[in-house]
Amino acid sequence: KFRMPTAENLVPIRLDIDIDGQRFKDAFTWNPSDPDSEVSNFAKRTVKDLKLPPAFVTQISQSIQTQLAEFHSFEGQDMHIKEKIVPLKIDLRVNNTVIRDQFLWDVSNLESDPEEFARTFCQDMDIGDPEVGPAIAVSIREQLYEIATQSVSSAREARVGKKGRRGSDIVANSKAGNTVDLGKLFGSKGSVIRKRKEWYLYEPIVDILSNEEVGALDAREELNAR
Amino acid sequence: MTSAPPPAAQAPVLSPTNPPPPQQLPLSSPVSAVKSEVPVAESRDPPASVSSLPPEPSPVPAAASYTITIPSCSAWFSWDQIHDTERRILPEFFDGKSASKNPGVYKYYRDYIIKRFRGNPSRKITFTDARRGLVGDVGSIRRVFDFLEEWGLINYTPLVKPSAKEKRETDEGSEKKEIPRRICTNCKSPCGMTCFRTDKADIMLCAKCYVRGDYRPGLSSTDFKRVDVTEEIKTDWTDKETLHLLEAVLQYGEDWKKVAAHVGTRSEIDCVSRFIKLPFGEQFLGHEEASENDKPHHKNDEVITTPGEENDPEQDCPKRMRLTPLADASNPIMAQVAFLSAVVDSDVAQAAAQAAISALHKVDIGGGIQTSAVGAKDEGSSAADSQVYSESLNEAITEAESQLEKEEKDVDQYLSDIVQIQMKEIQDEIVHFEELELLLEKDRLQLQYMKDLLFADQLSILQHKPRQVSKDGEKVKPTNLVS
Repeated sequence: KFRMPTAENLVPIRLDIDIDGQRFKDAFTWNPSDPDSEVSNFAKRTVKDLKLPPAFVTQISQSIQTQLAEFHSFEGQDMHIKEKIVPLKIDLRVNNTVIRDQFLWDVSNLESDPEEFARTFCQDMDIGDPEVGPAIAVSIREQLYEIATQSVSSAREARVGKKGRRGSDIVANSKAGNTVDLGKLFGSKGSVIRKRKEWYLYEPIVDILSNEEVGALDAREELNAR
Repeated sequence: MTSAPPPAAQAPVLSPTNPPPPQQLPLSSPVSAVKSEVPVAESRDPPASVSSLPPEPSPVPAAASYTITIPSCSAWFSWDQIHDTERRILPEFFDGKSASKNPGVYKYYRDYIIKRFRGNPSRKITFTDARRGLVGDVGSIRRVFDFLEEWGLINYTPLVKPSAKEKRETDEGSEKKEIPRRICTNCKSPCGMTCFRTDKADIMLCAKCYVRGDYRPGLSSTDFKRVDVTEEIKTDWTDKETLHLLEAVLQYGEDWKKVAAHVGTRSEIDCVSRFIKLPFGEQFLGHEEASENDKPHHKNDEVITTPGEENDPEQDCPKRMRLTPLADASNPIMAQVAFLSAVVDSDVAQAAAQAAISALHKVDIGGGIQTSAVGAKDEGSSAADSQVYSESLNEAITEAESQLEKEEKDVDQYLSDIVQIQMKEIQDEIVHFEELELLLEKDRLQLQYMKDLLFADQLSILQHKPRQVSKDGEKVKPTNLVS
């Protein structure tokens, strides 16, 4: 049955609203079992706290509702969770901090906790800016959400295409690129320990930018957006 | 390969203006809890208490030059522990239902939010600030944030000065307008006219939330009691008003319209009820009230001695208590004093009152009632007298309250005795019925036995018949079997 493959069934929400030239971007994690009244309360509170024009309230509420509705639409359906270890990538810039990282994640582990990962990451890498943590958690969740929705559609395909074709074949075919083949790794020839020359690939990079660089990057992003 | 730096002691904190480490802010302040005991015990509903109780800020010296104040109702807070209040109000982190919502996470949220606020206490921290810096789902962060804000652990400092001023202003003004604001624990909006309260989890819901059924699992709609906000308005009579009342009564006697006009802020009915409730009030109205008081007395006694009756003794007791707060014991004495003071000269009465006060003050608070009765009756009472009077009035009130408690305890005791006796009766009846049942059962068995015998007889008769036929060779009349 469809759910986020994490201990807490939380949904990543991303907001990107532009009203009269004023742009509001935000990303956070939402609990889909919260009552609907929470959405409007949250929108009002955010607008009040950030002193945005009131037109944002409805837009924010709508955006959140749409994303939640999409999540709920997946809920009744089946998904194939097989033992899959996928590489996840983090590539974000939050205020002055740039984070780049990649690591392997077990999608079939339904007790996984992206929030805990994000918190530990920030502690270990001694990150000063507290807004980095949530950004990492949201990014991980978004990737997991993507994977979960894909597994729903693949389950559907598997059901549709019977007659001699086994569902696992299709899944294997479509996922071959992403999935790390555990057999190869942990078989007799492979070893769990990463080769030294591959270490640099998996090492997290945390950079602090100066304000000018931040300004330059922001400007470039704005241009791209338009 | 770079080695990972040692993990920071706590979650990343954005506090550039607070140079010393946060641990230096001592907040578990039992020292300042002297006066805070009463408000803590009473304030089971934090939202109302923070706003309507006169918040006695317990100033805690911070490392820097500013002080952080929190209301005394939150004096339990400490960095190192999680208090029961927190467990009670935010159970989602403590019930073990989800692995990622645990006390550690709660502490991380709480500590981060409070530290962030204290880093810049002149500015209120907004929920958006908090949730942007915290990893987790915004719903739970919001609940923690709201909890901290309600209990004054964050965003509280800016309110201290204006609320002190407000308090002074509202004190002078009519207390009737001070309605304790109830905030619904679920939707955090003011409750309005009706609220629903449950004592099981100390939650108060507004009408909307109650109807929607938005309470936690474990509570059902039957656990909630309806509470009308208007009922709960308690208007306390100040000393001034009581003084006015007594003066007015002295002047105008039983003309309650004029009395109410003199008091000013109270209606006639309020004046009358207040007057009745005063410990010595009955004296001024003569003995009619006193005799009325005796009647409910007797009635109550009767009820106690005849436990078999069905009438509910409870209904009598509150009535009795309302009519006779205490004073019964000293009625005759006070009648004497009143009479004497009326007879004697005003100066003499005054002197006697003063002497009595100084002599009896330490020993017997009841004496205060007498002297205050005397002093009040005194036409030429000076300002000093009235001061003494109001003082002794307060003592009288505390005495009244303690006696009231005693009475209540007695009543409870009687009630439990009655209940016990009735239970015994019922038990006896049950035993009796059981014996009856036994007897009936025995009878039934016997009947059954007889029936069996009869049946056996009939069978044997039937068996004998064919033999008879074969013997006699005659037709035998068919006998009707009696079944």
